[in-house]
Amino acid sequence: MNRTLIYFILAGVAVVIQTVLMPLLLQGDYKPDLILLLVVYLGLHEGQWRGGLIVYLMGWFFDGVGGAFPGLYGFVLLAIFLAVRGIVTRVNTESSALLLLLVMAGTILQGVLVAFALDFFRQDISVWSQIAWQLPVQLLLNFVTAFILLKLTVWLQRTFLPRRSLPGLRKLDSRYEN
Amino acid sequence: MWEWWQKNRPLYLSAVLLLMALLWYSVNLRQQDETNFLEGVVLRMTGPVQAGLNQAIHGAADMWGHYLYLVDTEEENRALVENNRNLSAMLAENNEVRLENERLRRLLDFKEAQEIATLPARVIAEDATSWFRTVTIDKGGEQGVVEGMPVVVAEGVVGRVVRSSPRFARVLLITDASSAVASLLQDNRARGICRGKGEHLVFDFVLRQEEIKVGDRVVTSGMGGVFPKGLVVGDVKSVDRREFGLFQAIEVIPAVDFSHLEEVLVLLRSSQ
Repeated sequence: MNRTLIYFILAGVAVVIQTVLMPLLLQGDYKPDLILLLVVYLGLHEGQWRGGLIVYLMGWFFDGVGGAFPGLYGFVLLAIFLAVRGIVTRVNTESSALLLLLVMAGTILQGVLVAFALDFFRQDISVWSQIAWQLPVQLLLNFVTAFILLKLTVWLQRTFLPRRSLPGLRKLDSRYEN
Repeated sequence: MWEWWQKNRPLYLSAVLLLMALLWYSVNLRQQDETNFLEGVVLRMTGPVQAGLNQAIHGAADMWGHYLYLVDTEEENRALVENNRNLSAMLAENNEVRLENERLRRLLDFKEAQEIATLPARVIAEDATSWFRTVTIDKGGEQGVVEGMPVVVAEGVVGRVVRSSPRFARVLLITDASSAVASLLQDNRARGICRGKGEHLVFDFVLRQEEIKVGDRVVTSGMGGVFPKGLVVGDVKSVDRREFGLFQAIEVIPAVDFSHLEEVLVLLRSSQ
């Protein structure tokens, strides 16, 4: 199947999980940001143009189900993707710890960019304090989710598709072989 | 020069891409109160899936709660538990129906008390992010729901419709940071604006000389043009009169429990 289509299907599944399933499982308004994990993954495995376009469209899709500011997540997710792209060319990406670290950094960057985009362009809205208050829990939640998903994805591939190579999974798998 | 450009091209092109994305976001802020084409498509696509999954989860939870946990007991004492199981299942089911009835009755009483035509709707999904507070309801343009319509429950104000597709709509909760409700204190009629802060609200622009106590009720003032006058917003949680400045810092606890929002009423009137 087309890789791009797979990314969008994954984004759709992530959105449904975040909007329907997570509110029932988790108390409060916290939910793991699965789209962010997907964007970090795309940053590690896709090129600047193709990946950038996919992420920007994904951001618009995400704006349709989160918040009330069209284009906000298009900008935020694109910025995170480009930041990840900027980093992967300078460090050794063959490490799962780096992916987890990037998820943490991406969470912080997302919070900062959302607050900036709202405070700077809409002076009547101030979300700095709210985001700063929620950020530690969000960081923890995203970290735990990324860790579990990494383990789960590798296990699923080894169990059900041992001879197939899914986009990017071979790379991930080799990290866990060590 | 060419080498320099080749070396730094990804960086500058990234910056240009980002600027374009930011520019497009800022342009779209002007049409923020309308549902754009893409948002409509997303609502149409995700709405049925969310509604289906929501129904399936609640159905499965009901099945588990009403029946499955009794299967083991049946094996231990089939004859006695058979009877007990049926009764328990019926009781649990009745209890669920009774609770739903109570909620709907409260909504109905409230609906009858309202002069404006109302439309009951079910909450099928929450916001995809942790930073914003919106919910998706299973009623949309086909039922007359358009952007700007107020959404309430018997306890008080829920929010207003910000996006609408033919069969689904998204509601911005009053606890969202971008939400502002023109409000007043029920007792001393002091006016202000209730802004969302995630879990709670802040009551801005209330003059320092106003006498405000913890527990005072905050209601809509009807000034914003969105919410009718007199709907309950919440109760004052804390008051800080501050040593200087024009206004007090007032924290308000919303009257509505947003973590248990299942059915709501959309006040059907032309959005202003």
